[in-house]
Amino acid sequence: MEYALSAAQADEVLRALSRDFTVCAPKRFPKAGRYSDTDIVRYDRVEKFSDIVWETKSDYPAKEAVSPIQQTLFYFTEDEFRESKGPKKPILLFARPCDIHAQRIQAKIYAGNGGFEDFYYTRVRNLVKFAMMECGGGDDTCFCVSMGTNRTEDCSMAVKFSAEGMQVQLKEEAFLPYFQGMPETSYTPAFVEENVLKVEPPDLSDEGVYQALKKHPMWKEFDSRCTSCGSCTVACSTCTCFTTRDVLYGDNAEVGERRRVAASCQVAGFDQMAGQRELRPTPGDRMRYKVLHKFHDYKARFGESHMCVGCGRCIHRCPEFISIVETVRKMSAAVQEIQEEQSRAQAGAGVQP
Amino acid sequence: MNQDINIKKARTNCFRQSKVPGEFMLQMRVPGGFLDAAYLSVIEHIAKTWGDGNFHFGTRQTFDITGIPYGNIPAVNAYLEQYIREVDEQLCRVDLDTVSQEPQPWDPEGGYPTIGARNITACIGNYHCICANCNTFELARKIEPIIFPSHYHIKINIAGCPNDCNKAHLCDFGIIGVAKMTYHPERCIGCGACVRACEKGSTRVLSLNENTGKIEKDACCCIGCGECVRACPASAWTRQETKFYRVILGGRTGRQTPRTGKMFLNWATEEVVLSALRNWQKFSAWVMDYKPEYLHGGHLIDRAGYKKFKELILEGVALNPECLVAEDIFWQETEYRSNFNVKPMSLHHTAGPQ
Repeated sequence: MEYALSAAQADEVLRALSRDFTVCAPKRFPKAGRYSDTDIVRYDRVEKFSDIVWETKSDYPAKEAVSPIQQTLFYFTEDEFRESKGPKKPILLFARPCDIHAQRIQAKIYAGNGGFEDFYYTRVRNLVKFAMMECGGGDDTCFCVSMGTNRTEDCSMAVKFSAEGMQVQLKEEAFLPYFQGMPETSYTPAFVEENVLKVEPPDLSDEGVYQALKKHPMWKEFDSRCTSCGSCTVACSTCTCFTTRDVLYGDNAEVGERRRVAASCQVAGFDQMAGQRELRPTPGDRMRYKVLHKFHDYKARFGESHMCVGCGRCIHRCPEFISIVETVRKMSAAVQEIQEEQSRAQAGAGVQP
Repeated sequence: MNQDINIKKARTNCFRQSKVPGEFMLQMRVPGGFLDAAYLSVIEHIAKTWGDGNFHFGTRQTFDITGIPYGNIPAVNAYLEQYIREVDEQLCRVDLDTVSQEPQPWDPEGGYPTIGARNITACIGNYHCICANCNTFELARKIEPIIFPSHYHIKINIAGCPNDCNKAHLCDFGIIGVAKMTYHPERCIGCGACVRACEKGSTRVLSLNENTGKIEKDACCCIGCGECVRACPASAWTRQETKFYRVILGGRTGRQTPRTGKMFLNWATEEVVLSALRNWQKFSAWVMDYKPEYLHGGHLIDRAGYKKFKELILEGVALNPECLVAEDIFWQETEYRSNFNVKPMSLHHTAGPQ
């Protein structure tokens, strides 16, 4: 079933949905941006049509609605503990195809990795229904088509927003009652078929090339450019790393809570071990780790696709204007250089008696 | 050169005497130092038609056109009408028919009615700058009609943030854009970027609590620069929507008693800054007993004493609850000669009704 809702009718439907769902969508936080008089668009609970920011990409990803930056896992008192209470209502999450694909990838890490299922992730994820926001093409930092995340059928409904209202294609019958009496129309969601920004990750299946790339001087550029602030990973649709912390209530060490808080592989100290040793002590090392993780390592482990979904938020949020797409291109150039050197070495070895 | 020229009258008209006899330099006001680039052709036209073809960026962000022969002044003034109307009357809503709060119809052919309140300077502010906390030239345009045209001198500099590139510390009434921050602990990843930013570039008021992984702040010593907001990767620090200002009072350069200004107001809202400035002319008039002299604002504060200044400038001003006011200010002057203020009684100045 397809519907064409005016803004007022969309409000009515959202009101009805809000009775049974926590409706989450990109929302504007005026003047909360990094620079004076700039806004932030991030996921939050919405109540009405005008709350939803659809014209522009959110600064922060949809993952915040599923795995928030900070979350209490359990509370403890002496030798007893109690799990934190999860969300009571199901969540209707308005998200673009890239963000929906990102949840497929997050689920692999949280619940399909090493035979262990993350209870706190799964209990929320199981409550999430997607309302796919038809994407008008994003902005000049988007490259979903290159990453194969421009289309998705994984949603309960598809929605096309405009200033006047929204067109909805219902895919799940359970949602029919919320749209009862609303004007019907004919609407089929469209997908982004081309981005201005394109990227082709290099083939790193050759172990020799892969190892040589890790040592390539290209990463040194980031020692002076990257400030290791971690903006890229907080804004990343797929990053899942977190750290746990026990917070004690006052001076009684027997009472408190265990939280998990997002962590960033880009921030110094992320990989610090006992004895203060760090595996990746420079910004260049950390950048290499992240880029290879997103454009090689994940796929090498799980097979299906690269980890990066091409939402471009890392580019959008980087205060130093480091583009991950340009970095991948530099990586491709480095791979070519390495391969040429290898074939020269082999040819050289060939003439040896 | 044999001309009978009243150079004081020319100066009041914003034409500065040159070392070349009979030549003058026009100083065109640019409140906040920001204008449509189309006005550059106006500058070019004046310079090429009536001046020596050059111009100088005035130290108070005026367009200064050099080498204008005295005889050309009437023609320049007639041409200036459109510029003055567009920039001061329309952009800043200045009432050109009131000088020093007294009715005095403006002669549209006569150029600037007075040089008194000097051009308000500003850094580029948050129109462009990643550090700024406010739109500096929009504030300048709001202040312009309060202080101009007036024979009472005041130099106002506006800086978008406490870095004070525009030297609010070196003018009569310096205004610095500051922000009050909100901390959102639920978004904080405990990376310490704000702590390092504050330590490196500000007043070291932040620390990371190792037990909670969250930030603690010595709010009292925060200068409101917003570096923590800029540094945060997760928007855990945000600027509050209300804009606040710090007012630095009584700074000056000069041959006698140069000094850095001191904090007069902290965390004042725009309305508080504007209402205080609305009392400026009244204060100046009181000090000089309604007889304007060519004397800058800081000296008037010296004559009246800070406490009298405070009383008159804050008269009827409804301070916002966050606003702090200096109870007293003790400036430290550069002593070109020691005991500068010790002199015969006959050389002492007075303030108030004579």
